[in-house]
Amino acid sequence: MDLFSSLGLGFSVALDPFNVFYCFVGVLLGTLVGVLPGIGPTATIAMLLPITFSLNPETALIMLAGIYYGAQYGGSTTAILINLPGESSAAVTAIDGYQMARQGRAGPALAAAALGSFFAGSVATFLLAAFAPPLARAALSFGSPEYFSLIVLGLLVSIALAHGSILKALAMIVLGLLLGMVGQDIYTGTPRFTFGLRELFGGLNFVALAVGVFGIAEILRNLENEREREVGVKAVKNLWLTRDDFRRIAAPVLRGTVIGSLLGILPGGGHILSAFASYSAEKRLSKHPEQFGKGAIEGVAGPESANNAAAQTSFIPLMTLGIPAHPVMALMIGAFILQGITPGPNVINEQPALFWGIIASMWVGNLLLVILNLPLVGLWVKMLSIPYRVLFPAIVLFACIGTLSINQNIFDIYAIAFFGLVGYLLIRFGCEPAPLLLGFVLGPLLEEHLRRAMIISRGDPMVFVERPISAALLALALAAVLIAVLPNIRRKRQEVFVEDD
Amino acid sequence: MKKFSTLMLAVLAAGSAFTSVSAFAQDYPTQPITIVVPFSAGGPTDTVTRLVAAAMSEDLGQQVVVQNVGGAGGTLGAGQVAAANPDGYTLLLHHIGMSTAPALYASLPFDPMKDFEPIGLVTEVPMTIVARKDFQPETLEDLIAYVKENGENVTYANAGIGAASQLCGLLFMDALDVKMTEVPYQGTGPAMTDLLGGQIDMMCDQTTNTTSQIKAGEIKAYAVTTPERIAVLPDVPTLAEGGLENFNLAIWHGLYAPAGTDKAIIERLTKSLQTALADENVGNSFAELGTYPVPADQATPEALAQKLEGQIGLWGEVIKAAGVSAQ
Amino acid sequence: MAFSVSRNDVASGAIFVAFGAYFVLEATKYEFGTPFRMGPGFMPIVLGGILIVLGLAVAAKGFAHADTEEAVPWPWRGLVMVLGTIVFFAATIRGLGFIPVVLISGFVTALSSARNNPLSALAVSVGLCVLCYAIFVVGLGMIVPLFGPWLPL
Repeated sequence: MDLFSSLGLGFSVALDPFNVFYCFVGVLLGTLVGVLPGIGPTATIAMLLPITFSLNPETALIMLAGIYYGAQYGGSTTAILINLPGESSAAVTAIDGYQMARQGRAGPALAAAALGSFFAGSVATFLLAAFAPPLARAALSFGSPEYFSLIVLGLLVSIALAHGSILKALAMIVLGLLLGMVGQDIYTGTPRFTFGLRELFGGLNFVALAVGVFGIAEILRNLENEREREVGVKAVKNLWLTRDDFRRIAAPVLRGTVIGSLLGILPGGGHILSAFASYSAEKRLSKHPEQFGKGAIEGVAGPESANNAAAQTSFIPLMTLGIPAHPVMALMIGAFILQGITPGPNVINEQPALFWGIIASMWVGNLLLVILNLPLVGLWVKMLSIPYRVLFPAIVLFACIGTLSINQNIFDIYAIAFFGLVGYLLIRFGCEPAPLLLGFVLGPLLEEHLRRAMIISRGDPMVFVERPISAALLALALAAVLIAVLPNIRRKRQEVFVEDD
Repeated sequence: MKKFSTLMLAVLAAGSAFTSVSAFAQDYPTQPITIVVPFSAGGPTDTVTRLVAAAMSEDLGQQVVVQNVGGAGGTLGAGQVAAANPDGYTLLLHHIGMSTAPALYASLPFDPMKDFEPIGLVTEVPMTIVARKDFQPETLEDLIAYVKENGENVTYANAGIGAASQLCGLLFMDALDVKMTEVPYQGTGPAMTDLLGGQIDMMCDQTTNTTSQIKAGEIKAYAVTTPERIAVLPDVPTLAEGGLENFNLAIWHGLYAPAGTDKAIIERLTKSLQTALADENVGNSFAELGTYPVPADQATPEALAQKLEGQIGLWGEVIKAAGVSAQ
Repeated sequence: MAFSVSRNDVASGAIFVAFGAYFVLEATKYEFGTPFRMGPGFMPIVLGGILIVLGLAVAAKGFAHADTEEAVPWPWRGLVMVLGTIVFFAATIRGLGFIPVVLISGFVTALSSARNNPLSALAVSVGLCVLCYAIFVVGLGMIVPLFGPWLPL
């Protein structure tokens, strides 16, 4: 009852034509900027943030939320069309999305991403409206031991990201973890693996790494023997999902929504795992796991839904407790403060119109996103008809300029070249880049939570099994490994002569 | 004509911004000015800068753009401005970290005293000593006794080497002559999360981060670190009231230009800063953050230079004594 | 081939071992710490060790079978020109400025494809320069000199 009157208040704010207009502008700008190679959602919001300063608080925050969804979707578009993820979740979308694009199915991939995101966003918005305060409280029971166990689980489950050799995927994850350690150690301030370069104190830039191992490496792959074969993507067959596609994405979207909604609530980095977790789940549950990595639409729909659900529910800790779950949320806090609102537990009571208005506008924003992007699918797909010899110099330059414009750090550009080379070599030798990126984003978290848990427990490793949530997560991790390894061993025994590497 | 000029004068006087521009026949500024913030967007320093930049834009009649150059505890952005062209179009807004960097970093690519022209102080943000909701001590006196008794069994969150929250903790432990267990975080946001969740015991952070949580009763506040109580938290005592007389810590922010910038330009910028700080909007927004703009006599190159020099000396000793180093 | 060896596995294994070795060797310079207070060297040494073992395993597996696909030719021209352009971009963007660097980079990158000739590469680079200027400098307000201080303008 109360929920409905609150939502009514929210929609009266969100459906104000003025606010709808700005929400639409936000979604549009977010999509257009987010689609630029090398510019992910965080960078897009940082760039567009100043536009909102002159607006009143409700409108500004509604527009900002619009920019956020737009940027998310724009980032996925780049990942699908040119294999260039701007954020870790988009790296998952790129695995099957880009393969679909190469097969001429960019349209269905984009449409599945948009529809999945819309559904997940709607559900997550409802969750946010109905259960935000208790969910946020529950999330606080996650301390460092729980996060450490969750990350271990995530890493082990994510071996499923690879469609080739499991051994190589493991090595790529560990290499990613190590690359994530570059920079100043937060515990002691010791600069690690920086070659004395101050530019590296803050660590390697994710975008530089992603642009290198995905974008540049892919370009080099395509230049390998371009005289003999046609590069880039095939002619577009259809723009819309077939009946069969709809049937295939329904369950992944549902599962992705659940996974993403749950992980997104955790303020210590749960959202990062959402897309990876959904992909692993879909591959495990699929009757045709061999299609994953070769253009399975489930591998696009599930992770995209999970990511968008997590993006939505990661507002829960921000709106109800005033704590930011990730850099985008930190930017949001800045925006709140500039608007004269201090985010915290009191916002819901002191500014009900604002609180419910933003929640309602999230739904409106998701709706506008779908309305805007479904027609745009045709336009994006048309861009693929640009000859590759024109397209790839554009990708290289856009990536360099985009990366530079985020941090003004020249070193990031050198890093693109270095990781372009390393990424190209590794991919040429049969390794896959997505596990590397997962390791890279989780490496610092893994170390941080392990060390913090040990400090707080005063050096007692039993803390990981004595705390029930942590113990349960570790048990799941163990189970995941057993499930993955046992059938393999059995099969190996049966087919010793068949090497599936 | 006469009527017109009287009107003009009135407008100018009311605006107060443009009254003295014609005094020096400078056409500065003729292009947008960039203020570098050596931290990422959305943090308290970034917020302070954006508020001041907006007000200065109005006064200077040119866009004042905020650029975030984060990394290496603020030394990356500061180094960039130190090396920038001293033409008045690239400025730096940095906080207390400017004075701690020489002690923390063995090889600093700039000298805070020599490579910058101070423009003026901007604000001094008070800090608060807070704890999880169910932490045992009730009052400041209880807390001091408890920490002295339990020492290393008390966990204390900070935002890493050289962060304001760590500096505050160092001073606090120094004043009580005890060691607590420091638990570093990647910024005070995650630290606050763990404090709200009861995973750690204590923290010392700027009012910008703690006020709303204190007011909502989500965390306990024991003291403010300034010599006087602050307006937004009138019930929270000062550390001096608890017997730590010499404890005075606020996260001061200053505006700088690269060394060698023309004196007339510095004067113009100081004037503009003072105008911005007198702006009602800026004052209100600062109050929301739990802070206040410094008075006009503090927003001067002399005041900032004096502050910087004194603080470099102070922190040099504290940091050395604690054996902390970032490199 | 005389041996049935997977060059891909051996080469990627070698890369992993090399990276692992670098991280371990470098991390020995950092404090290892205790379980209570792990030092900055703890995780890199443990993970670097794991990476070396995994790299060796990948390589060892490679000695058991041959590559299934034939090796593709190396894209030397692309490697040198694309990576070279990125390095050139980084080295000169502050000095030469946006417009010259984008023009030169666009031209050289385009030429790394055998399907472009100098004329089409020039067209690509001019087109890209206008597009990048419109999007980043005008649209997003990126702060960058159009013509840098190295040029006598």
